[in-house]
Amino acid sequence: MLKSQAAIAGIGATEFSKDSGRSELRLAAEAVFAALDDAGLDPAEVDGMVTFTQDANQEIAVAREIGAGELTFFSRVEYGGGAACGTVAHAAMAVATGMARTVVCYRAFNERSGRRFGQPDARLGGQPTSQGLEMSWHVPFGLMTPAAWVAMFARRYMHAYGVTSEDFGRVAVAMRRHAATNPAAWFHGRPLTLEEHQASRWIVEPLHLFDCCQESDGAVALVVTSAERARDLRRSPALITAAAQGSGEGQMMMTSYYRDDMSGLPEMSVVGRRLWEMSGLGPADVQTAILYDHFTPFVLAQLEELGFCGRGEAAGFVRDGGIELGGRLPVNPNGGQLGEAYIHGMNGIAEAVRQVRGTSANQVPGVRNVLVTAGTGVPTSGLVLSAG
Amino acid sequence: MTGATPGATPGPDPADDELRELAAKQAALGEVRGTPAADPVNAPMIRHWLDAMGDANPAYLDRGVAPPAMAQVWTMQGVRPRGKVSTPVDDVLAALEARGYTGVVATNCEQTYHRYARLGERLTPATRFAGLAGPKRTALGEGYFATWNVTWYADGDEPVAEMMFRVLKFRPRTRTGTAPAGRREPYPLRPAVNGDTAFFWEGVSRGELRVQSCADCGRLRHPPGPLCPHCRSADRSYVTASGEGTVYSYVVHHHPPVPGRRTPFVVAVVELPEGVRIVGNVVDCPPEDVRVGLPVRVTYRAMDDDLVLPQWTPREPR
Amino acid sequence: MRTLTADDVVIGAALPGLTIDLTPTLVVSTALATMDFTPVHHDVEIARAQGSTDIFLNILTTMGLVERYVTDWTGPAALIRRIDVKLGVPAYAGDRLSLSGAVVGREEEGFRAEVRGRVSLGDHATAMVTFTLP
Repeated sequence: MLKSQAAIAGIGATEFSKDSGRSELRLAAEAVFAALDDAGLDPAEVDGMVTFTQDANQEIAVAREIGAGELTFFSRVEYGGGAACGTVAHAAMAVATGMARTVVCYRAFNERSGRRFGQPDARLGGQPTSQGLEMSWHVPFGLMTPAAWVAMFARRYMHAYGVTSEDFGRVAVAMRRHAATNPAAWFHGRPLTLEEHQASRWIVEPLHLFDCCQESDGAVALVVTSAERARDLRRSPALITAAAQGSGEGQMMMTSYYRDDMSGLPEMSVVGRRLWEMSGLGPADVQTAILYDHFTPFVLAQLEELGFCGRGEAAGFVRDGGIELGGRLPVNPNGGQLGEAYIHGMNGIAEAVRQVRGTSANQVPGVRNVLVTAGTGVPTSGLVLSAG
Repeated sequence: MTGATPGATPGPDPADDELRELAAKQAALGEVRGTPAADPVNAPMIRHWLDAMGDANPAYLDRGVAPPAMAQVWTMQGVRPRGKVSTPVDDVLAALEARGYTGVVATNCEQTYHRYARLGERLTPATRFAGLAGPKRTALGEGYFATWNVTWYADGDEPVAEMMFRVLKFRPRTRTGTAPAGRREPYPLRPAVNGDTAFFWEGVSRGELRVQSCADCGRLRHPPGPLCPHCRSADRSYVTASGEGTVYSYVVHHHPPVPGRRTPFVVAVVELPEGVRIVGNVVDCPPEDVRVGLPVRVTYRAMDDDLVLPQWTPREPR
Repeated sequence: MRTLTADDVVIGAALPGLTIDLTPTLVVSTALATMDFTPVHHDVEIARAQGSTDIFLNILTTMGLVERYVTDWTGPAALIRRIDVKLGVPAYAGDRLSLSGAVVGREEEGFRAEVRGRVSLGDHATAMVTFTLP
């Protein structure tokens, strides 16, 4: 069992900006240095590296840049932001099996000043690979941006449960309220009203501008080592109580429109089930959650898939202040990707570690366990991190 | 277009019998009344029409009558047609469309005026499907000539004007090279196609919506793949869908701009009665009129000289 | 205003030619005046996307221009009984429509004039117009 064998011993990040002015490799190296310093480890101790398939910085390049020596484990996790918690899962498996002792997980990009994921790319459907063929059922019709792919779910979800755009807006408002008191957040000091959300322009109906997370430049790195060793390092460890990856039946990349039901996230249900099984915990045992929030509607669907409320009840859960600081389940105390920064979910894992340590700018009282999820609408992953 | 004249008849095709049967059925419906004109014959629209045509003839407004060539104008649908009453022609054109006769060109318009319509009269159209001739080889491609008649009745039952209208519905030739427009700008959003998916795109270019079916267990599947996930058979076939569906979900794309597209545009997941879903654009319909559950019918649009995409247009519910 | 009577008409007589510049304004204003909002008659981008070189005249306008061509010559006393049009090449904005015609016969229902509307691509419309005169 993977349960509690490994821990996150260090976290590091660059500043979050709209134009870093530096190469992605430099951002990666800076974040890794910060994470190693946080853990009190020397770069020479790093012997494993994990990142996203989408990351432009090869493990060996980052290793050269930080002055690491030999690597005995390196792996990549597929499926966009769905990889985030998966990098920690792979690192934990490597540590638990002895493949490596000190594994760095990182994600670095100039997503705002460089290639922007929200922009259409006519080449998406170009090649007859399995992914190119999958995209070819959608791209020729102009259905080719993440906002559009998610909007298709959002419309069906609204239809199925009578959810409104204002219900989505309340998620954005809560995230911006959290970000407003987080000095590291891009939207620090800049909360959002529901009226502003409603008045914001359409991106892809039914999604307004403020249903879509921001675009950011920046990097985040995490250091994973054994739980035993982590206890002897500089910071209190965040134990990896459970880690899981999941994909659903009939899974596609953000366009799983052909499954029986289109109003949920079955892949997140897989992840949730595995996390609860592995940890022996349940929804009532986590004091705060980091839910991947690149688009507001999927925050609602995740609350349902992970068992924090019943089907179709998430809008009510949010309307009652359930996801706010002080609510039943404070979600993304850092402001999430809507409020803090979009670092493909990795900044959320760092926030979960801070919550476990008790050092967050918006600290939730009495945190013992935190649930973290990764990219939604894609094959995804999740973690339960615990104080220990 | 030039050369849209009947020529030699190609070989027999079972689809031709179905078309002839449908044509006979629609013709047997006789004359079907349409929606009365939104406005009675009126001076402002006449004045506007004369002005646009550059017609200085004072006779019409002096005598309180409409130019006879305006007959059809009175009962045109507006910018946003609502509650459209279907005519016996619609099904025939849809059937032709579904069989790949996606091109259309009007060939004849013959109007007879029994008298000039007078100010204040409200005209009501009535449409009768007259016949289908074909398939014929024409300069534009193989096609059918569809003919129908419209009679405009004044208040009461007095026919004021009649029209015979004929169109050629044809299978557009790819790369004719003779089209006056020349080659079109290539559409940038092209599908990747391989041996597992080619049947679908070949069908679309012939005006058929093909859904993969397993030749062994018969299960349908869309999007298609190389194997049957239920019985592992690699023996694949397809069925031709009826072409009807309902909107299961949809989006209206506003931002950012998409290559080859004008915003806003609608993309929908359409549920087919055959039991699968498919993605396409909803066209010929203002975005605000699209909703979950909207009955739609497939139509085919040539995006450039090579690529045809299946699209969806609102239909009357069954 | 000049108007013809039946006695003035000689079978075989040619109608004076009329040339109409198909400006985008003419194409669009006639489409709208005939309540035809099909985009190919007013939206050049859509027209091109569907394989046309430009926006083009709608059929209701072709009917109207043929009618106008004949009554420009006959004057206001004529009654138009019938217009039969065989449609040919499209009449695109930027082109020029040249109308010519001749009286070709007289039958029970009235005089018959043959009208041809030509554009640079060829015959746009070939029409037979039946009319009566006092």
